[in-house]
Amino acid sequence: MVGMSLLRTAAAFTARLNPLKRTCQSSNLLSRTVARSEQVVVRYGSHGKRMFIIKPTDFYDRRFLHLLKYYILLAGIPVAALVTFVNIFIGESELAEIPEGYEPEHWEYYKHPITRWIARTFYDSPVKDYEKMMALIQMEAEKAEMRQLQLEVRRHMREKGDGPWFQIQTLDKNLIDHSPKSSPDN
Amino acid sequence: MPKDHDKDVYPEPPSRTPVEDRQSSLPNPALILSKLFYYSVDLPVTTFRGIQSGKKSHYYHQKFRRVPELTQCQEGDYVCYYEAEMQWRRDYKVDQEIVKVIQERLRACQQREGPSYSQNCYKELQQFEQVSKAFQSRYGDLGAYASARKCLMKQKERMMAEQHAFATSST
Repeated sequence: MVGMSLLRTAAAFTARLNPLKRTCQSSNLLSRTVARSEQVVVRYGSHGKRMFIIKPTDFYDRRFLHLLKYYILLAGIPVAALVTFVNIFIGESELAEIPEGYEPEHWEYYKHPITRWIARTFYDSPVKDYEKMMALIQMEAEKAEMRQLQLEVRRHMREKGDGPWFQIQTLDKNLIDHSPKSSPDN
Repeated sequence: MPKDHDKDVYPEPPSRTPVEDRQSSLPNPALILSKLFYYSVDLPVTTFRGIQSGKKSHYYHQKFRRVPELTQCQEGDYVCYYEAEMQWRRDYKVDQEIVKVIQERLRACQQREGPSYSQNCYKELQQFEQVSKAFQSRYGDLGAYASARKCLMKQKERMMAEQHAFATSST
């Protein structure tokens, strides 16, 4: 490490003292000072020297961000405006005791006006959902019971054999031709 | 702001806090944020309340009838099972909210009293301990798929353990 820095200083020294590139012949060769050149304050009438800054393209990134903001705000701003105006001008509902003999509609159990609107327009009342579920359960229970009964009856019919199931139809007795049986050794 | 619940039934902790002795000279960030919120949101909203439409709509708390519980259902009566299950779920939610209210009280008490909370909020501590023990013993490790049946079985195990403990302690 130390050797590297020594080497580096030696290289810089030799570069400065290069005879092919001797710019000045004055006495400040071996020292590290630099000759003071004339420095003039430059005043531009424009924004300074125009630079062509070379950097990798940011076209795609900027296009992506622009499109992202555009599509988000396309729906975002109307929705935000709608929600703001609903909150300001319509406002939330107040809690009240249920009056005597009055059955509130199912959307009247919610506070925010937009929730109430959604419950009123799109959703079924929770009571109706409950009843629907109970109806489904009842139907499935009846089906299960029927299936159990059918298995039980099947078992009985097979065992006892006196029911309408598992009856195998045989030919009528009168159709049997007994005539070959009268002479067995034919 | 519209009123939410009856404040006498679930009293909120007192809003006046005792005089605080600040040890540090840094500004209180909670105060800064609350002032910010007040001036940016609260004030405009309260001034806009005046422009709201005259007729106010109301919302109500739904009242549910009590239905027979799981223990009172006939075996194989699946509709009864469903109703009992729904009732148990509603009761579970109510119990969760009760625990939250007690927790909130304890938290407020601790915030008010500061370092000496274990002495000054003794009542709230005892209440919270009792409530959370009861909740844990009833609904404790039922998990995400908790149901009325599992809770009933847990109760059965509890009663069995109690009887076992009673039997072993008496002999």
